[in-house]
Amino acid sequence: MSEWVSTFPGYSLLMSRIKKVIGSVSRTGPVPRHIGLIMDGNRRFAKNHQIELKEGHNMGFDSMAAVLELLYESGVSCATVYAFLIENFKRLKTEVDWLMDLAKSKLMQISQNGELCDKYGIRVRILGNFAFLPDDVNVVLKDIMHTTRKNTRATLNVCFPYTSRDEMAHAIRTTAEDANKDSGLDVDEHTLTDHMYTAGLPPLDLLIRTSGTYRLSDFLLWQCVPSLCAIVFSDRLWPEFTPWDMTKILFMWSFNKYWYGHGNGQTMRRVVDEPLVRAMDRTDLAQSLWDSDASASPTATSTGYKVYASSPSDASDITAASVVS
Amino acid sequence: MTTTHPRGNMVAFHFRHAILLVVFFVMSIARNVQYVYNKLCLRIFSMTYYPNKSPQIIRDDVSKLGKLPKRISCIVSLRSDDDENGGCDGVMGDVAELAAWCLSAGVPSLTVYEYNGCVKSCVAELQNAVTKNLRAYFGLQTPSFTIKVPHTNEVVSTEANSGDADLEIAVLLRVDGKPTIVELARTIGELTASKELLPDDITVKLIDGELTELVGPEPDLLICFGPVLDLQDYPPWHLRLTEMYWEPDNNSVNYAVFIRALKKFAQSRVNLGK
Repeated sequence: MSEWVSTFPGYSLLMSRIKKVIGSVSRTGPVPRHIGLIMDGNRRFAKNHQIELKEGHNMGFDSMAAVLELLYESGVSCATVYAFLIENFKRLKTEVDWLMDLAKSKLMQISQNGELCDKYGIRVRILGNFAFLPDDVNVVLKDIMHTTRKNTRATLNVCFPYTSRDEMAHAIRTTAEDANKDSGLDVDEHTLTDHMYTAGLPPLDLLIRTSGTYRLSDFLLWQCVPSLCAIVFSDRLWPEFTPWDMTKILFMWSFNKYWYGHGNGQTMRRVVDEPLVRAMDRTDLAQSLWDSDASASPTATSTGYKVYASSPSDASDITAASVVS
Repeated sequence: MTTTHPRGNMVAFHFRHAILLVVFFVMSIARNVQYVYNKLCLRIFSMTYYPNKSPQIIRDDVSKLGKLPKRISCIVSLRSDDDENGGCDGVMGDVAELAAWCLSAGVPSLTVYEYNGCVKSCVAELQNAVTKNLRAYFGLQTPSFTIKVPHTNEVVSTEANSGDADLEIAVLLRVDGKPTIVELARTIGELTASKELLPDDITVKLIDGELTELVGPEPDLLICFGPVLDLQDYPPWHLRLTEMYWEPDNNSVNYAVFIRALKKFAQSRVNLGK
């Protein structure tokens, strides 16, 4: 059905107009700064629709480009996609080769003049352990990073080949090396965060996993455990995941942030032990200060029907009360 | 946005923001309906699945399942002292109930994560609470269990030989997460400085071994007993392939959520990388 509609003249123009409108509306409210995407389900999609595996991956890529366009229209400054995990090398050699070729050609395509990267000023960064990659792929990836390095409006991180444990091991290794070079270096959570591949990027606000699997599969584990990060699981397979699904998730996050002050939605009030508060490190304090700033945004008070809840528990009380009455 | 018509832009901005607020308003109504629906579902589930302090009922529920997790991890929250089930005693009560359910279901390992780690300093009381609850379930012939607090390195066991226990309970807190990895990074830094460890030896395998030693192995199933999936700084290393479960708008530790999590787990498939 959707394929049939998409053959109409002017379809893609109409879609990009709609995305522009949605983006311009959603960027007037809270927007996640950094989104992680686990694009799972390409193979299952190919199997279910009895198309070639190649074709499934290809459609997955198109779906990614469509979703990314919406994200950047909405003002998301950073997206991290899980393209290939180190364990994927266990797959059949023909498929691995094919994935490598696909990554090469598609990434080259989006980084060309006039394409996605150029249009939104996206800097492409490849995160991962390059030691696993063949030389020719390495050269191409370096080239892509080089051509887009001057773009500053947004960032696209392609994790290729990546696992979070490998990233943490890398961070520990480089931190240890730095600590040996500079004896004054005080190693804390900040230091390790700065040695992750995602160093210098805004904290992860939203992580999306498709295909109805409720696992993180070794993706951005370090970045997603803080309470600030909302994790959303979608039942759709990745090639079926449309910008419309993304819009719903984006608005839901925005709504939760605006209404409850928390991207996750209605949470319980966190009770923190006194001694622990004192022992809390700078990261948490800075983060909570930042949060309270964000919640005092002028947009929150300009609404007539609901004043921003000062804490999540207040919000839940209000809802509970309204439910009873 | 261009800067040629600042005033026009302001109008356009407020117009769009008004649209967004209307969308939010509609969503808030939907959210309230959903809240009532979720609460209703939870009420029905808790009537359908009621353990009634009988291991036999739990065993019957579990026997239909294709596979069981070996290790369950639960995120529980500390409530304020004034609330029902609040304070440290509330958390101990939750741990005691979880221990009884795990033993009845035949799950040999239970890890309880509580952000503050309020029970870490009262392990003896926790042991009493668990024993008492197990009596209510199993009668006088209570199964044996050990309680381990990796942070303080404290182990309490009902048996002389802690390896034989039917259930292993571990209590984790925030410090077992990122701060432990930081500590490990520091130690590794010192070891590499004194040339006892080469940078190339710092592999995923080495770190995995160390963290398994320090914190424990990775759980198969993580149940979050909160209204949303909030990981609350859970140890990141240990979440690699963990199946996650939570029930929207649930805010208590109850058996219905536990058994539904087990059911969900039984249906899941792991095909890492393949």
